[in-house]
Amino acid sequence: MNSYTSTPNSLQAKTSDASSHIDQLLNGNPNLWRGCDMAGQGSHGHSTGFSQLDSILPGKGWPQKGLMEVITPQWGMGELQLLLPLMRSVIESGQWILWVSPPHSVYAPALVQAGIDTDQILVVKMDASCKDALWSMEKAFQTENCGLVLAWQNWLPGTVLRRLQLAADTGNTLGVIFKQNECKHSPSPTRIQIKESSLQKDHFSAAEVTVLKARGNFRPLSTDIDLYSHQLA
Amino acid sequence: MEETKNNGQLSLIVLNEDSSEATNTIKTAKAREVGSSLDNPSLGRSTAALSCVDTRSNQVTASSKANGNPSANKSRPSLWYALYFPQLNNLDDLQQSGALTKLASKAQNVSSTVSFHKLALVCEIRSSINYFGGINSLHDKLKDDLSTALIAMDQPEHFFYAASPTVSGSLLLARAGQNTLVYQKSNLRSALGTLSTGVLNLSKEQNRRLYNMGIRNLKDIWRLPTDGIRKRFGSEFVNQLNKALGKAQEPTLNYLPSPTFSSSYDLPYELENLDRLLPIVDEIIGQLCDFLTRRDLSTSHLVFSLFHEKRSPTCVEISLRQTSRSSTHFLLLIETYFHNLVIPAAVISISLDVKQFDAFISHTDALQLDGKPDAASRESNLNQFMEQLKARLGDNYLKNISCVAQHRPEYASTSPEFNGQSNTRSSRNNAQNKTAIRPRPIWLLEEPEQLVEKNGRLYHRKAISIISGPERIETAWWEDHDVRRDYYIAQEGNGSRLWIYRERSGERRWLLHGYFS
Repeated sequence: MNSYTSTPNSLQAKTSDASSHIDQLLNGNPNLWRGCDMAGQGSHGHSTGFSQLDSILPGKGWPQKGLMEVITPQWGMGELQLLLPLMRSVIESGQWILWVSPPHSVYAPALVQAGIDTDQILVVKMDASCKDALWSMEKAFQTENCGLVLAWQNWLPGTVLRRLQLAADTGNTLGVIFKQNECKHSPSPTRIQIKESSLQKDHFSAAEVTVLKARGNFRPLSTDIDLYSHQLA
Repeated sequence: MEETKNNGQLSLIVLNEDSSEATNTIKTAKAREVGSSLDNPSLGRSTAALSCVDTRSNQVTASSKANGNPSANKSRPSLWYALYFPQLNNLDDLQQSGALTKLASKAQNVSSTVSFHKLALVCEIRSSINYFGGINSLHDKLKDDLSTALIAMDQPEHFFYAASPTVSGSLLLARAGQNTLVYQKSNLRSALGTLSTGVLNLSKEQNRRLYNMGIRNLKDIWRLPTDGIRKRFGSEFVNQLNKALGKAQEPTLNYLPSPTFSSSYDLPYELENLDRLLPIVDEIIGQLCDFLTRRDLSTSHLVFSLFHEKRSPTCVEISLRQTSRSSTHFLLLIETYFHNLVIPAAVISISLDVKQFDAFISHTDALQLDGKPDAASRESNLNQFMEQLKARLGDNYLKNISCVAQHRPEYASTSPEFNGQSNTRSSRNNAQNKTAIRPRPIWLLEEPEQLVEKNGRLYHRKAISIISGPERIETAWWEDHDVRRDYYIAQEGNGSRLWIYRERSGERRWLLHGYFS
């Protein structure tokens, strides 16, 4: 009997339940564009660990799969700091990270300080040929054990990028390509640029991160974030 | 009653003449038994079953089939040839068994039934005597093989041998060093009787007791009542003597040669293009996988050899992280290896050898309700991925990274060649707990770059300003590469974060050591 008397309440609860469920469905689908600027909308992204950056990325975080370009004027701008939280969660989920031809040797103590277990990191050395490097990237995208592929390649033609994007997309893996030159017509679906902060010049930790391109964003957005806050504390 | 016995006897003789029809004969014998069912032909039946084991299974033989059964004796009593190698006594157990295995593989040339004993091998040669044309030529053949094998092992080439109708009998004769041949079992008792009790390998205490009883030779024991011996020396001792005389069964465990696989293919014409070899490789791999499946084995190390005219062959070594017998996986790997391979000349022949056999371990598939692959298949996928990377890139290009507990920054990280084993996990974790507390850069330069000092400011590409420091590292003065440095965290005018240091001795140079990327 009780259940009949409380009908209006439970109906209300049900409708609110249903709408939240619909919202969940709408927000959780990266393939759905709702006709509005998606920056900071939805929940299908993988949190970056920087709240300011989350708020300007579609899905509130890094894309789950596909290709991403990180553009810096030179190496050493904090481009890896930006990805450390992501790396940590990839390693914690038991997947491997493949580093393809990094420009310098990767220093294990720094990764350990950042809480990244080096057991599941594999490095393809810099002097491997470009063809081999691209081949290993594609293989890594295809296997389900690699959660993240980091590559350092300055010049890649559009066809190669498209092929990698397709491999990353079908393999459900995020690939990050670090490069030093900005190319406006690059086919990569996500492009991030890191520059010296214009507001806080000479502030060691600050950097200006611009989302040049992301699926669902209407225009480039930038924000200042504290890259080294957790390291140099 | 008389008739059934005759029937049983008849079938037995047929069995002994034609062993291939053993099962048939047993069936007919059984049929007859059912048909008559007057008497119990247990004698004939048990012998038939026994010889059936003898002829059909090569692995475990119930030897000395004569358990006082005259019919079996008449047909074909086995003759056991014992080879005794006293020189192996100064090797340790592992070396001994290794040496015996090598010798057993030689002894296999004359007999299919070779069994291991302490410092000795015993093989059944009754059936081989006719084939080799007498015991002498058989012995000559064996002697040559074994002598070369013994010399190869840096051992004296002499050994003792003896043949008799029982395993233990032959062993005792060989141990006595008499090099005797006893054909008839009835002569065994007197032949063994002349041996001293030392050949029995008894304990000190038992030897002393035998000596005190006035027993010097085995024939002295023959004279004693069995019950008394059993009481004094235990049934083990009596059993040994009974076995030697053929009064008790002697099961032996036979030597099984380790599996080998080697397959080669001569091409009808020379091939330059490795892609066109793949169909042939496919065929050979098919043979290999068949072989592995039949033996329930898998492999983790293959060697492909490509032969050229007038050149040394090109060898492709394929070692796997996880043993496998999947032909698709092998093919994929070989394709990847061939992709990078440069051959000096056209290929005229190709061969495959397996270096390492392993037991095949299968894993059960989990019930996949959620469509996600289970841990085991993920692991095998990972292994396949790593093997492919290794095949394409080579060992030098694929690295792991790990920490080392070291204060000198350049030694605190290693990039060992990727070998796929994370067996050093615990030691690594130890090292990881001991890493420096001060911040370290993700990029470390292999060779520190010298910085320019101009008008009191430091320059790399742009001007450098120091953010924090110094962190003093002074260590390893006891070694050649001692370190006396002050490390600073610095920022370059263009936004790079640097890790720089100043030498505290010598020229006191400023150097760039890494990037905080």
